[in-house]
Amino acid sequence: MRNLFIFLREQYFYFLFLILELASLILFFNYNDFQGSSLFNVANAFSGSVNNVFNGISEYFTLKKTNRVLIEEMAKLHSRIPEAFYRSDQNVFYKKDTVVRLEYKYISAKVISNSTNKRNNFLMINKGALHGIENHMGVIIGNKLVGQVVGVSPHFSWIMSMLNKDSHVSGKFKKNDQLVNVEWPGGNYRKGQVREIPKHIVMVRGDTIITSGNSNIFPEGLLIGTIDDFSIAPDENFNTGRILFSTDFNSLGYVEVVVDLMRKEKEELKKSFKSE
Amino acid sequence: MTSRTVFFNIVRFFFLILLQVLILNHVNLGGYVNPLFYVYFILLLPFSVSRGIMLISSFLLGLGVDIFTNTIGLNAASCVIMAFARPFVINSISSGPETLIGDTPSLKNQGIKWFLYYTIILVLIHHTSLFFLEIFRFIEFFKTLLRIGLSSAFTITLILISEYVFIFRQK
Repeated sequence: MRNLFIFLREQYFYFLFLILELASLILFFNYNDFQGSSLFNVANAFSGSVNNVFNGISEYFTLKKTNRVLIEEMAKLHSRIPEAFYRSDQNVFYKKDTVVRLEYKYISAKVISNSTNKRNNFLMINKGALHGIENHMGVIIGNKLVGQVVGVSPHFSWIMSMLNKDSHVSGKFKKNDQLVNVEWPGGNYRKGQVREIPKHIVMVRGDTIITSGNSNIFPEGLLIGTIDDFSIAPDENFNTGRILFSTDFNSLGYVEVVVDLMRKEKEELKKSFKSE
Repeated sequence: MTSRTVFFNIVRFFFLILLQVLILNHVNLGGYVNPLFYVYFILLLPFSVSRGIMLISSFLLGLGVDIFTNTIGLNAASCVIMAFARPFVINSISSGPETLIGDTPSLKNQGIKWFLYYTIILVLIHHTSLFFLEIFRFIEFFKTLLRIGLSSAFTITLILISEYVFIFRQK
């Protein structure tokens, strides 16, 4: 302790300088707005970034509680404005196919239930018969394929997504229009399977598969996926391949239902041929 | 340190502050030049003054000028830096204790060369710290350097003029 005092007394010049300089700088930054706010900005930016990093880590520990609070809040708000839940927006889009004069109508809907981890996955959306949705209508998101409608109730619809044992989508190679069949063998929800690829087709990883337009469920040209892997079986007539789905089925929020306005005409035509 | 020098220093203290704030602060040639003549006080502090008193009195000098110019702390900080540097500058430009004749540094006692070095270095230190603190950013770097240069030149000129005046008066 005594040595400290001796040290202070011997070096008092430097300490006094430090004290006086600090005092004048403190006065300076406090009193002058520009320098004060400049210093404040720098200090804030630094402490802000440090706090950000720390917060990014620590907020994970409270996620469960945050989720519960948010869900309760949402439930409270929903029950307060019940008509918002059933109100359907009037977002209807028409697409004119100039060559064939086919008209498609798109109805947007919100996915209220989804699954990707079962063998047969389905989605439920919040629009139904009252909104113009019927069975066997195609469901897309943007220009990517989702699935088709298999059940309709007045306010909701049940959709079989592509991640389903029973889902067969007629697709084709974008590069040469060769027809293929797209299915899902289970397992990874990002990967599907392309079957019945004729042997003479050269497959390259990254080839795009789009809808062929042969079924009257989906319009032509929607993205199904890209070739990820393929196996050449020497003793069979067809090759199979794995494709990476363009749609991320795990993150579906909103989808669009495709209404083919000329479907009735096509089906009538088919029926009239069969009955003869 | 005789009471005479103490008295002279105190008078000089107040006189220089008043001269600075009442007259020289309104001198603004071309927008670049701000003469800061009051640092003359720090230059003329006796050699024998204790370092603590030197620091404190420069702090008060700067604060006094600040109060009138509404920039509290700006001049005080620069004056304290200048006073801190003063002993080191004196030690490095004096070739020995024989140059420190007389108690007060002056043109007559130390000669023009010593006094010129002394003034230029200390005034530059003061003006650099002041102008950079004032602007507090690096954007107008060269303009600030210009300001420092021109203001220092003006201040040094004023200081030299007053030194010569005092030499003639004593003769």
